[in-house]
Amino acid sequence: MNIVACVKQVPDTEALIKVKADGSGIEEGGIKWVMSPYDEFGVEEALKTKEKFGGEVTIVSIGPARTMETVRTALAMGAEKGIHIDDPALYNADAYATASALAAAIKGIPHDIIFCGMRAIDDDSGQVGSILAELLGLPSVTVITKLDIEGSTAKAIKPIEGAQLLIETSLPCVITAQKGLNEPRYASLPGIMKAKKKPVEVKKAADLGLTVEQKSTVAKMSPPPARPPGKIIQGDDPAAKAAEVIRLLREEAKVI
Amino acid sequence: MAEKFISERNLKFLLHEVFRIEELTRYPYYEDHSKEIFDMILDTALKVSKDKLFPILEEMDTDQPEFIDGHVTVHPNVRDLMNEFGEGGWINANFSYDLGGQQLPLAVVLASRFVFFAANYSASVYPSLASGAARLIASFGTDDMKDLYLPNMFAGTWQGTMALTEPQAGSSLADITTTAEPTDGGYYTMRGQKIFISAADHDGVDNIVHLMLAKIKGAPAGVKGISLFVVPRERIEASGELVFNDVHVAGIYHKLGYRGAPIVQLSVGENNECRGYLVGEPNKGLSYMFQMMNEQRIDVGLGAAGIASAAYYAALEYTKERPQGRRMTEKDPTLPQVFIIEHADIKRMLLFQRAVVEGSLSLLLQCATYADYEKVMDGEDKEKYSFLLDLLTPVAKSYPSEMGILSVSQGLQCLGGYGYCDEFPLQQYYRDVRIHPIHEGTTGIHGITLLGRNISLNGGKAYRLYLDEVTATANDAREFPELAEQANELRDALDTLQDVTATLLEVRKKGNAELFTADATLYLELFGIISIAWQWLKQAIIIRKALQDDATGHDADFYNGKLTTFRYFFDYELPKIEGLAKTLKKHSGVTIAMNEPLFSD
Repeated sequence: MNIVACVKQVPDTEALIKVKADGSGIEEGGIKWVMSPYDEFGVEEALKTKEKFGGEVTIVSIGPARTMETVRTALAMGAEKGIHIDDPALYNADAYATASALAAAIKGIPHDIIFCGMRAIDDDSGQVGSILAELLGLPSVTVITKLDIEGSTAKAIKPIEGAQLLIETSLPCVITAQKGLNEPRYASLPGIMKAKKKPVEVKKAADLGLTVEQKSTVAKMSPPPARPPGKIIQGDDPAAKAAEVIRLLREEAKVI
Repeated sequence: MAEKFISERNLKFLLHEVFRIEELTRYPYYEDHSKEIFDMILDTALKVSKDKLFPILEEMDTDQPEFIDGHVTVHPNVRDLMNEFGEGGWINANFSYDLGGQQLPLAVVLASRFVFFAANYSASVYPSLASGAARLIASFGTDDMKDLYLPNMFAGTWQGTMALTEPQAGSSLADITTTAEPTDGGYYTMRGQKIFISAADHDGVDNIVHLMLAKIKGAPAGVKGISLFVVPRERIEASGELVFNDVHVAGIYHKLGYRGAPIVQLSVGENNECRGYLVGEPNKGLSYMFQMMNEQRIDVGLGAAGIASAAYYAALEYTKERPQGRRMTEKDPTLPQVFIIEHADIKRMLLFQRAVVEGSLSLLLQCATYADYEKVMDGEDKEKYSFLLDLLTPVAKSYPSEMGILSVSQGLQCLGGYGYCDEFPLQQYYRDVRIHPIHEGTTGIHGITLLGRNISLNGGKAYRLYLDEVTATANDAREFPELAEQANELRDALDTLQDVTATLLEVRKKGNAELFTADATLYLELFGIISIAWQWLKQAIIIRKALQDDATGHDADFYNGKLTTFRYFFDYELPKIEGLAKTLKKHSGVTIAMNEPLFSD
């Protein structure tokens, strides 16, 4: 089976994020970059699918040179090869441009099933998997927590409010992974050693016959407003202080 | 609870910027590796630690091993962890390719272990012990032994142990009485008692492989009659069947800390059916065992530095969130309280911890780097690194162990009353770290090893090489006027060391062996402080260079924070050698003169 897993490199959840002074993005110095956690579920499911049915897993990712570390991490987990799309036109691209580039790369290789994370933890857009499926003309099942493949049919469980859906679709298809789908394995030391020798193609948008088109742009990035400091009510009379608390809750906080 | 237990930035600073481990990949033995590989390994170590080790730190302290029906049960996650460490390739990481290993530099393996130890010391000793025991079989065992034991030990399905101590023989191994009687069957019949054996029985693995010291019947008295044996709990029959090998668990000890790993008493050969298999040649067991012990000793230093690191970050987090008091210059009591990290005395305690943790880690990785170069060098260079490693092993074991206790204690102090309560992890770290000056040779033994043996080894060659290394660092610092003061202080410290060493050797020359080593522990302490000062100056030189290259933002804080810690060490810790030197040069003899009746009341 030819299996594809799309991964995105994002700042570590513990990284201290600072917005650039001009609001054009985040300060990247000193940030540790990791594979987006939902993409890890996708890679793990891709590897499990390979282990069950045979075949190979190709990793596709977009980003600057540092993205190669994330591709290698997926190879160290057990994937066979990678495609790294490194084109400045695609750095910080929107969901549509990202999905277009992924589609252009995946069109050129055999694919029976494609895994994505349900969303990337940096911009939280959650659209790439679905747009990718649309561009490839494939069915997509999103936010899934269980997957069974039988022949050319995929049965997926998708949790919804108070229930879960069992969705059946035909292969090839795009699956986006939710937490709970599996427990991603760690890269092993032998895997890390082998990853170095596995093939990774580095491509520009033009190599894929792609003209980058964005449907949206980030106008400005700003940090959430700082929390206002707490207020200490001064005075010696407890009754007066209590009355003041009630007044503030009613008039300022407007919670009672 | 604090989430951070180590500084990844500092670990990578030491490996890449200070010790430049990537340069090792120029040698054929390490040529398959790269900086990228080293970083991926450290990232994975950190991930495994965060996901699997750190979350059960407290649980492994409270749910202690139990001795039930002759067997030891441990935390249920131990089996999963051993599998993870086995499958992940961590147990055989720095073994050669032909043994199935990854030929990783020891510096990278130990850096990873530092992360594991900081996350959860008890959980991490299981794979680390398996690795050490496997090393002995790999180095001195027969091919059959290697085939029989190594794959399972590397996979984490069989535990390895070091079985040395006996009820009457701990520090004094010459007095062991476990016996091995030769048979015609290619094995020895073993009989004896072993105590304080780490992980010597548990349900997290399918078999236990003891690397056991014993005396062959009729062997010479003392250390010259000690041999090394493989003694499995279940021996492997020719059919592949596992058969109980008459190794019984007599009990487990209930410890102050480090409670997630059992320390076991073994009764060997109660029914005269325990088979042991000789490793290497008869009567050479102790020298073989020392190879493993030296690696384990560095591990102990790492364990102490790791626990102290976790305690430091727990304390640091608390001091940033706990408001208490106002600045000395602020007299207005109506103003809000400041966070305690604003107070100079709190910052002193934090600086002390950081100085101990990062200084110790630097010395430990220095030793690892010596081991890595020793492996790939020839002739005089090889000898140099071998001598330096040998000389510094007792220091790299003891300084972090002894100072780790004080470091964690200061961390606990930062929390005041809460530090003493089990709502916070500091009390556990305080208990956990206390083992380190005891196991793998007490501080007293290491003091005697350093002063009584290592200083004079090969006509004092190792000692002279050490003086050259430290002097070279002091000379390198000349390039930076900002470091001149500390470079001079380090040179003065070396003069003090040489002065003290010369007067002590004079005592030995006069034939007073007891007086010579009476204060060996203090000598080790002095040697340790100077070695850590050396490591801090070494780091400061790298930082000065990096700052010249205009580090900004995140890195500038990191580098300047380290520079301040470096200055702290030279201003507050290094001067302590003067008191030690005064005592050491006095040759007081008061500890010899004192005697038991005078302790009567």
